[in-house]
Amino acid sequence: MMQKMISKEKISDLIKELQKEFKVFGPVKEEGVVLFKEITDAKEICLDYSNSKIPAKSVLFPMIDTLFSYKKEGKGVKIIENPPYEKTVIFGIRPCDSMVFSLFKNFFSFGKYKDPLVLNRLKNITIIGMGCLEPRTTCFCTSVNGGPFNKESVDVLITEFKDNYYLESITDKGEALIKKIKSLTDADKGDLAKIEKLQKDIESAIPVIEGLDGIYTKLDGLFDHPMWKMESQGCIGCGSCTYLCPTCHCFDVLDENKQDGSGRRIRIWDTCQFPLFTLETSGHNPRTTKLPRVRQRIFHKFNYYPKNYNIIGCVGCGRCIINCPVSSDIRNIFISVENISSKTEG
Amino acid sequence: MQLESPYIPVLTTIKSIVRENEVNDIKTFEFVFNDEENYKKFDYVAGQFAELSVFGVGECPIGIASSPTEKGSIKFTVKKAGEVTAALHNLEVGDIVGIRGPLGNGWPVEEMKGKNLVIIGGGFAFSTLRSLTIFASHEDNRKNYGDLTVIYGNRESGEVLYRDILEEWEKRDDINVVLTIDREQEGWTRKVGFVAPIVKEVSPSPEKAVAIVCGPPIMIKTTQDVLKELKFSDEQILLSLEMRMKCGIGKCGRCNVGNKFVCLDGPVFSQAELNKLPKEY
Repeated sequence: MMQKMISKEKISDLIKELQKEFKVFGPVKEEGVVLFKEITDAKEICLDYSNSKIPAKSVLFPMIDTLFSYKKEGKGVKIIENPPYEKTVIFGIRPCDSMVFSLFKNFFSFGKYKDPLVLNRLKNITIIGMGCLEPRTTCFCTSVNGGPFNKESVDVLITEFKDNYYLESITDKGEALIKKIKSLTDADKGDLAKIEKLQKDIESAIPVIEGLDGIYTKLDGLFDHPMWKMESQGCIGCGSCTYLCPTCHCFDVLDENKQDGSGRRIRIWDTCQFPLFTLETSGHNPRTTKLPRVRQRIFHKFNYYPKNYNIIGCVGCGRCIINCPVSSDIRNIFISVENISSKTEG
Repeated sequence: MQLESPYIPVLTTIKSIVRENEVNDIKTFEFVFNDEENYKKFDYVAGQFAELSVFGVGECPIGIASSPTEKGSIKFTVKKAGEVTAALHNLEVGDIVGIRGPLGNGWPVEEMKGKNLVIIGGGFAFSTLRSLTIFASHEDNRKNYGDLTVIYGNRESGEVLYRDILEEWEKRDDINVVLTIDREQEGWTRKVGFVAPIVKEVSPSPEKAVAIVCGPPIMIKTTQDVLKELKFSDEQILLSLEMRMKCGIGKCGRCNVGNKFVCLDGPVFSQAELNKLPKEY
């Protein structure tokens, strides 16, 4: 482990140094919305934010992603593979969102078929996470194995303290990186103990939802429970909860053509909250109403994910709560599940 | 090293197109691989499917209609229904089609060895049953299976697929072929009636048997009831599920039934396996 620091006003120097070797993605504010984009001008970076509106999974799993390109010539077709992925740094990602990178690693490499797009990117990405000084009231990361300064899925963790940023290397990859950066100085040892206390205080202030770690077995018997009628009643099926969820990875596949016979096959983010998601060509739809669609979202994250990949498909970022137009709160579903299962047990 | 992409299809060329029904919305396409190496890699069993690509239009999952014993090419029977299947229907011999596969688990041809096979199909869902029947009745494999019964129903005689091969099977004494249509029709000399009552009439014994059922939902439902009456256990009934699919490799997330993916864990499930899953298909 290596501890370094840099004064806040010199952060542009750090970014510029990183840009010499890497493509750098960081939080940028565009029309009032914070999202992760490639930083071309170090001044663009916006570190004064609670969490990005659109999760940083977009770097690893873009909203529109080319599977391959093709060119039609007469009767012939030529397939063109993607260029190799460049070395990339994700700067300033919150520790909850960075958990998604290990979650995706697990999911996209699971089973017989490996997803080369996600896995090649993962190999080339270094994550510089930024601890969360002001968790939102909708945050519940500590209930799903995370935390505002969780070190599990970052290579370097930054903590903001007074006028400085403190950088702590977590992995070998992270250590090799911060060793090279000239604009960093050795950390002020006197502050380190204070920073550790600050981290602990912030983490312990986040309310913990009891019983969430055991929700998977509790859901097992609740598929046909009447609770889903209640829980889905207000839903208008807009899909915001899924499009803005850092762990959602369902996609649609389309061909996008140019006039000259060339084109590309793309995958785009999709949502289980739309009826079209499961509508078959015959007209049959296994999830015709919002009830099974709302239930699918919860079961996928909290039952199927743990069953298949041994992880919870949620990082507790609270985006689905903040962005729901009808104020549906996923935490109420947890409470319902807890109440129903404790009643049946008792 | 870059990983090989399971999303990239290999190129094939249409060798033949057979019009399968009077309405002309069902055609069987025969494909040869442009690169012989890709054909060698396409090692499949009856009951698997593949994603067919019309470049510029998209992909769709289709069951493989040919049997691995039919060498040199692969066949798919496609009903014109959506965008990609409509585009396929507009193609001609010599056109290029992309293929990804084989995908899914397929019929358990190894586990079924030594068993009597009762193959029950309805309508154009018969394609992977064509594959299975050709495979099991092939001279190399016939000895591995007991009695072979094929019950195949259609709405009307004009909808019956694979006429040539059905007639071949009817001539053989080691396959019991029972063809039926819903209502009497001039010139039709086989059975008349829905599939389920015909299964009851044929009354296959459940002893050492497996029933393989493919067809529209109502046919499956009524046939299951008959098979239960005939004392087939849930382990002895095999079904092939259909769901909307995109990637075919368990990543795009839409064809799940409970925690199982139809594209990856299926499409073939026994009734006993389905009993453990939510009724969401």
